[in-house]
Amino acid sequence: MSTAELIQLRDSARQVLGEAGLAASESKTWPLVLELGWLLVAVPEELGGLGQGLAGACAFHEEFGRSLAAAPYLPAMLAIDAACAAGKADWVERFATRDFVTAPLADPALTLSDGKLGGTASAVPSADLAGHVLLCADDCVALVSLKQAGVEWRERPTWDATRRLFDLRLSGVELDPGLVLARGEAARALARRLAAQRDFALAADAVGGAAALLDSTVEYLRTRRQFGRPLALFQALKHRCADLKAQVAGAEALLAETLSRAGDDLASPAAERAGQAAKLQACAVYARVAEEALQLHGGIGMTAEHLCHLYLKRALLNEHLGRGGNRYDLDLAEALMAVP
Amino acid sequence: MTHTTTTGGNPEALRAEVRAWLQQNVPPGWRAAQTGTGQDMFVRSQRDWFTKLVKAGYATPHWSAEWPGGGRSLAEQKVIYEEVARADAPRLILFFVALYHAACTVMEWGSEAQKRQHLPGILEGRVWCQGFSEPNAGSDLASVRTRAERRGDVYVINGQKTWSTLAQFADRCLLLVRTDGSGAPQAGLTYLLLDMKTKGVTVRPIAQITGDDEFSEIFFDDVEVPLSDRVGEEGQGWAVAQSTLASERGLTLVELTQRMRYSLPRIAAIMRERGVADDPALRRELGRLIPKVDAACALADRYLLKRIEGTEAAGDASIVKLAYARTLREFTLLGQRIAGLQGQYREDFIRGGGMETGNWPFDFMNSYNWSIAGGSDEIQRNIIAERLLGMPREPKNWVLA
Repeated sequence: MSTAELIQLRDSARQVLGEAGLAASESKTWPLVLELGWLLVAVPEELGGLGQGLAGACAFHEEFGRSLAAAPYLPAMLAIDAACAAGKADWVERFATRDFVTAPLADPALTLSDGKLGGTASAVPSADLAGHVLLCADDCVALVSLKQAGVEWRERPTWDATRRLFDLRLSGVELDPGLVLARGEAARALARRLAAQRDFALAADAVGGAAALLDSTVEYLRTRRQFGRPLALFQALKHRCADLKAQVAGAEALLAETLSRAGDDLASPAAERAGQAAKLQACAVYARVAEEALQLHGGIGMTAEHLCHLYLKRALLNEHLGRGGNRYDLDLAEALMAVP
Repeated sequence: MTHTTTTGGNPEALRAEVRAWLQQNVPPGWRAAQTGTGQDMFVRSQRDWFTKLVKAGYATPHWSAEWPGGGRSLAEQKVIYEEVARADAPRLILFFVALYHAACTVMEWGSEAQKRQHLPGILEGRVWCQGFSEPNAGSDLASVRTRAERRGDVYVINGQKTWSTLAQFADRCLLLVRTDGSGAPQAGLTYLLLDMKTKGVTVRPIAQITGDDEFSEIFFDDVEVPLSDRVGEEGQGWAVAQSTLASERGLTLVELTQRMRYSLPRIAAIMRERGVADDPALRRELGRLIPKVDAACALADRYLLKRIEGTEAAGDASIVKLAYARTLREFTLLGQRIAGLQGQYREDFIRGGGMETGNWPFDFMNSYNWSIAGGSDEIQRNIIAERLLGMPREPKNWVLA
C-alpha cells in the first residue's frame, strides 16, 4: 500500500467519522471500526493487514482525536500489535474483526509471583465490552480474561465524556499459559514496544484534536460579531490564534519526524525517546489550544452544548495518560544529561 | 541543470564528502580564537574560511551549474547546511549577503554586463550589504523614503538606511530607493547596486546592547549612482527586492535550528558547571525545551521539503521563523537562568559565534535579532493569521476612537 493510498484511507476515515458526528458514541462508531477494517492498518501484510505500521496507525489516531469518536480504537490497536509481535496470526484476525481486547492507557502496578498476577491497572477503556485485557507485569506480557476469578473491574466516570475508563483490581489471578504472549527479555522488549506505541498514539490523538479545535475556534471568531465587526479582525485575537497555529504545526511536524526517527524497532531506546518527545509536546500543545479556545469562545464555551469542553476534557486527560509519574520531561532531560 | 560534482547529485554521497572535508578543514579552536577579539580579527577569519569554502565548492551550491561548486539541487544544499551545523563550523556571516542576496538578485534580474561585472567579484571575496531598512521602514518595507532623483545619466540619492549587516566592511550595497512618491507605496521603488566608495556615502556602525556592532547605518548625501547600476526597470524595485528576500529559501533556518539542537548539551554543561545538574525543577525545564527544539527542527525541515516539492503555502515560512524565534528565546532564557549571578558578570563574547555561544546573557539579548529582524514576530503572526488561518486583514483606513 502506498502513501497515497494511506492518505485516501485516512480521508475516508475522516469522512466516515465526520458523518457520524462530533463525539459520536461508542455504539455507533465501534461497529464502523470493525466493519471498515480500520484495526488492520498497522498489521503486516503477511498477517492479513494493510502493512502501514505505526505511522499508518497514527494517521487514524489523529482522526479519532479530531472527531472525538468514542470507540476504544487505541487499546484495541495495542492488543492487536502485541498479537502481531507474538506471531499469533489467528488472534490478529479475531481481535481486528470481532473480539474486543482492551489495554490500560496508563502504566499498571502489577506483580507476578508463583505464576499469579496481582495489583491494579487503571485507565482501561471500555472494559465492560472486552473479553480480555492486555497486561504487562514484570517480565511477562499476557492476555487476561475479564471474567476470570480474581479480576474485579469498576467504571470510573471521568471528566472526559469521550472515553469510558475502568479500574481493574487483580488478586491471585492464575495466568493461562495459552494467553501468554511473551516472557523474559522478549516480554520486556514487547512492553517497551507497547509503551512507545501508546505514546505515539496519544500524541497523534492530541495533534488531531488540537488542529480540529483550532480550526473551529478560528471559524467561530470569523463568524461571531461584536462591536460591529467580526472578532477575527481584532489583532489581539489573531495573534493568539497564530501562536497556536505555529504550535500545532510544530507538534504535527515533530510527530512525523519522531515517527521516522523511531523506525521499525519500537523497543529501542531511540524509539522510546522519540515517542516521549512526541507525546509530551503534542499533549502540552493540545492542552494549551484547549485552554485558549475556551477563552476565545467567551460565554458560549462554558455551555455543555458547545464542543469546546469536550476537547478540553480530552486534552486534559491525554496529558495524564501514558507513562506514570509525570516524568516525560524528566526522562528526556535525563537522556540528554547522560551524554557526557 | 547538470551536476559537475564528484558525487553526481546524490545527497547522501555528498553528505559523506562534506563531512570528511569539514573534519579536515574547520579551523580548530575558532571559538576560542574569536573570543574577545576586535572586528578586524573577525573579518580576517571570515575571509580565510570563505576562501576555503569557495575553493572546495561549498560556498556556491545554489549558483547555476556553470559556476564552480554550482548546480546543486536544493536537497544537496540542505545536506551542506546540515553538515556545517553538525561540524559547528563558523557561519559565513560576512559573505552571506554577497553569496545569496546579491548573487541571486543579479542572476535573476541583472543584465549580462552586470553579471560579468559582479558575480566573479563575489567569488573573489567582494563584500555586499543590504540597504533596505530605514528608521521608518523596518518591517513595513514599502514605506522606504530614501530618495533617488534622476539627473541625466545618474540617480542622485539622499536619505538614510539602517540595520545593514556588516555594512562597515562592504564594497557594494543592494539599495532600495524611492523614485516616485505619487502612486501606491510599492510602485515607486527602484533597485540599485551601489558602490560603497562613492562620494557622499557615510557608514556608521551601531553599538548594540550586546557590545557587538554587527549592524550599521548608511547615510546618503547627494550620492550619484550611474543608471547602469540599476537592476530591473525604474519602479520595479519591489519585485526585485522580493527575489532578494526569497534567495535563501529556508536553508538558514534549517542550519540554525540544527545548530540549536546541537547546542542543547551546552545547557547540560552549564547545569553541571553551576552544580545544579540534579535540580528537578531545572531538569523539567530542560526536558520541556528538548521537544520544542526538535519541533523547530522538524518545521524547518518540512518547510524545505515543501520547497523542494513546490508545495509550500503562503505563510508556511512565517511559522518556521516564529517557531524558531520563540524557541531560541526560551533556550537562551533557560541558559541565563541557570547561569545565575555568575552569568551577570560581564565576559567577552565570541564574535560570529552563533546564537548559542554559552555566554548566556549575551545569547539572550542576541536572540532578539530573530524575533525582530526579517519581519518581527508580530508581522509573522499577522501573516499566519491572514494567510494560513484566513482571518481578515487589517482595515486600510483607521481613525483613533
